[in-house]
Amino acid sequence: MSTLAKQLRRILASDAVLDRPEDVMLYEYDAGLSTGTPALVVFPETTQQVSQVVRLANQQGISLVPRGAGTGLSGGAIARDAGMVMVFSRMRRILEIDPANQRAVVQPGVVNLELSQAVAGYGLYFAPDPASQRVSTIGGNVAENSGGPHALAYGATVNHITGLEVVLPDGRIVEMGGKAGDSCGYDLTGLFVGSEGTLGIVTAITLKLTRVAEAVETLLAIFHSMDDAANTVMALTAEGITPVALEMLDGWTLRCVEEATHAGYPMDSGAVLLIELEGLREAVGEQAGAVREVCRRQNAREVRRAANQQERQLLWKGRKNAFASLGRLSPAYYTQDGVVPRTKIPAVLQFIAGVSKKYGLRIGNIFHAGDGNLHPCILFDIRDPDQVRRTHEAGREILQHCVGVGGTITGEHGVGMEKNELMPILFTDDDLAVMKRVHDAFNPRGVLNPHKLFPTPRSCRETNVVSRPAGGGGI
Amino acid sequence: MSASAASPGLLRDLTSICGGDHVIEDALKLRRYAIDDVVPRAAVSPGTPAEVAAVLKFAHHHDVVVVPAGGFTHQGTGAIPDAVDILLRTDRLTAVEHYDPGDLTIGIGAGATLAEVERIIAPNRQLLPLDAPLPESCTVGGALAVAAHGPLKHAYGGVRDFCTGIRYVTVDGKLAKAGARVVKNVAGYDMMKLLIGSFGTLAVITGASFKVYPAPRQTRTFIASFAGLPEVVRFRDQVLASPLSPMCLELVSPHAHRLLAGDSNQDDDSWRVLLRAAGSDAVLARYRTELATWRLPPSAAAAREVSGEVETQLWRHVGNWPHAVFEAARNSALVRLDLPLQAVEPALAAAEQAATDNDFLFAAVGRIGAGSLLLAFLPITPDPPAAMHYANAVSALRGALPRDASAIVLRCPLEAKRHFSVWGSTPNDLGAMRAIRDAFDERHILNRGRFLF
Repeated sequence: MSTLAKQLRRILASDAVLDRPEDVMLYEYDAGLSTGTPALVVFPETTQQVSQVVRLANQQGISLVPRGAGTGLSGGAIARDAGMVMVFSRMRRILEIDPANQRAVVQPGVVNLELSQAVAGYGLYFAPDPASQRVSTIGGNVAENSGGPHALAYGATVNHITGLEVVLPDGRIVEMGGKAGDSCGYDLTGLFVGSEGTLGIVTAITLKLTRVAEAVETLLAIFHSMDDAANTVMALTAEGITPVALEMLDGWTLRCVEEATHAGYPMDSGAVLLIELEGLREAVGEQAGAVREVCRRQNAREVRRAANQQERQLLWKGRKNAFASLGRLSPAYYTQDGVVPRTKIPAVLQFIAGVSKKYGLRIGNIFHAGDGNLHPCILFDIRDPDQVRRTHEAGREILQHCVGVGGTITGEHGVGMEKNELMPILFTDDDLAVMKRVHDAFNPRGVLNPHKLFPTPRSCRETNVVSRPAGGGGI
Repeated sequence: MSASAASPGLLRDLTSICGGDHVIEDALKLRRYAIDDVVPRAAVSPGTPAEVAAVLKFAHHHDVVVVPAGGFTHQGTGAIPDAVDILLRTDRLTAVEHYDPGDLTIGIGAGATLAEVERIIAPNRQLLPLDAPLPESCTVGGALAVAAHGPLKHAYGGVRDFCTGIRYVTVDGKLAKAGARVVKNVAGYDMMKLLIGSFGTLAVITGASFKVYPAPRQTRTFIASFAGLPEVVRFRDQVLASPLSPMCLELVSPHAHRLLAGDSNQDDDSWRVLLRAAGSDAVLARYRTELATWRLPPSAAAAREVSGEVETQLWRHVGNWPHAVFEAARNSALVRLDLPLQAVEPALAAAEQAATDNDFLFAAVGRIGAGSLLLAFLPITPDPPAAMHYANAVSALRGALPRDASAIVLRCPLEAKRHFSVWGSTPNDLGAMRAIRDAFDERHILNRGRFLF
């Protein structure tokens, strides 16, 4: 392996290659619980270097896993087969800000929120807002097609990316798309966003910048029961009200969050909805009135309004730190990412309560109610093998139910190595076979991010690796 | 292969798959499905995705060319086919797969027309923002295959932004799906993106799921007129930099306006921008105030307002404008232009010049705030212009574009097609696109010879 390290040091700066066990250990983790120790960690500074390293990896038959800030929840950035991890912390330049075309061009290591801060002077921002946005990189957001609370109105990352520069698994540097919204030929950009680093390594990203809304209103609707809150979500839809974010927390989770963050959430309620409206002053004012009216009809106990930016941030702080707050109570937790049709939310919440009872595990509910993206959070003790097993089974049962009512197994966290064995719940062999053809058209030897996204073929399923539930942070 | 009569073997097999009632073999009837004068040997309407798979497997096995077809609203796009052996019509794949208004999603067969979708969801005050031309004919599958769009693209994005799931059949007969019926999903590759805009070269789309949106309760359209293109672009930039968020922001060139008005002799030379706003009285009043206080160039006329039936008609006409171009002059060329916002002005100026230099009238409509426009070169003389004029006009336009822009000739006279590539250049890596096509359809059974490569 040291020869390989030597060869890498000829391509990269000498301090840009790590191969000592104590150094590479830092790259075993992401924000989930899956781990895998890489043999080497490299830090390229240019697209050319990325290409050269990819070519070398091919020659040497070692796999390569691209990694941003490591905030992923599905093990996408983990070297599952002890290969090489490529970290983008030295490719974090904003290459161009082009406000007249509402575009920016960035390197993959640029942090999500830093881009928004850099373009704030133009009244613009980058709309995708995963809860990890203070640290997560845009390259990682692109790989995972990250969402966030405001994906409800503005879409996920894919809706904001118009062009990519990519190093393909054979080392070729290719362009796709550009500043134009659409282009002649296949939408390679759309295919590569969300491909979880299995088709190529993104080295430059052209993205849309969105205008900051004139007015924003954040409401906290407090309910006695989950049912009332869930029915309110449906009633808002029926009224044609279009919040830009619509989040739900159950009463138990709420109390944990309040104890940890003092966001001002009520300690004695059954559930709350965090509702955000944006747009023209006039429209926001009217919609806020309509939201209050709907909440009242659905038995809301109270609807509070953030009076200023500070109060608004406090309400969001509680929501965005919700998972971390649960971490105070439990040594480990497993965040699910299922999505269900909106009308199924009340029934699915009852199903989850049943699962909680059946497996004797506490499950908190924090989720993007507006688009049906549930994050049931199963608390467990990782030292207890039986609890680990039950957690795993409970998670699978919940996701199976989500798919059964017309939903999916992941709304924004990705498949990676956490849910690749669950893909057959959602997809048939034929569905997956066609996706595999696309994979093999680019990455036939699996040099990039192997053993991710696709279920392990039955013939070569590892017997000594038990896929473990991921946990940690969350959206 | 002969373009006139189908071989008995082909017909027998198609009939055994789909039933005799759903196979057209009559040469005269088939003529109406001619593509660039190439008449299909047979047309077949499978009733299920499984039948689509059987037809494709058959075609794949016998190496005959299949052209998937919806409502024939965009079938004129593409290079001249070498052959069309089987025209695979989606007209029987129209079933609603799922629709619960509370979910704000609908799943429907590829053969359903956009108008049919609207009739299903409109009673619930919902909207599918896929306002492609000729909605009574344009099918869901066709609109996806060509990435069709209309004025609503300004606010809602292209169909890639609200198609959440897709069902398709590969040439080797795999019934596959991707995405889901829910609005948020990242499981597996986003095959929707690949199939959207692939012009039927990868697989046959049999159904799709979409997000739908609450329909606005009230809209108003403000029509602003300007002496020239620079003023139009300045106005566009002003709208985009303002807090206003219109549903549509549509450019109408002077001659495009004449075509819309059905009066080509009108001597009004102004450029127009149609701004459609949705909202309450107070919101509309805000639009009115903003527009009135902006410092518009002295040549600009104050914005006129239309509402009600007049407004509905106006947008219907704008949406169907490409059709109006060919009604006015059937030898026109229609170009779809996708480009960065700041490239719009030089591109339109170049197109106008190219038209003048080659004896065409120039007209344009389009989503000026999204960089998606439709241009037309209309012949001035009743005799069809020489093919080289089209080629020259299109290359002059393409020469003025930045490298990430695209100018696809959606439709032009057959003679002209022989002289240039209707696709033009692409910012997408050709090697990568070829690899994808080969992964799906190595022998190019689907739409052989018609695509970019």
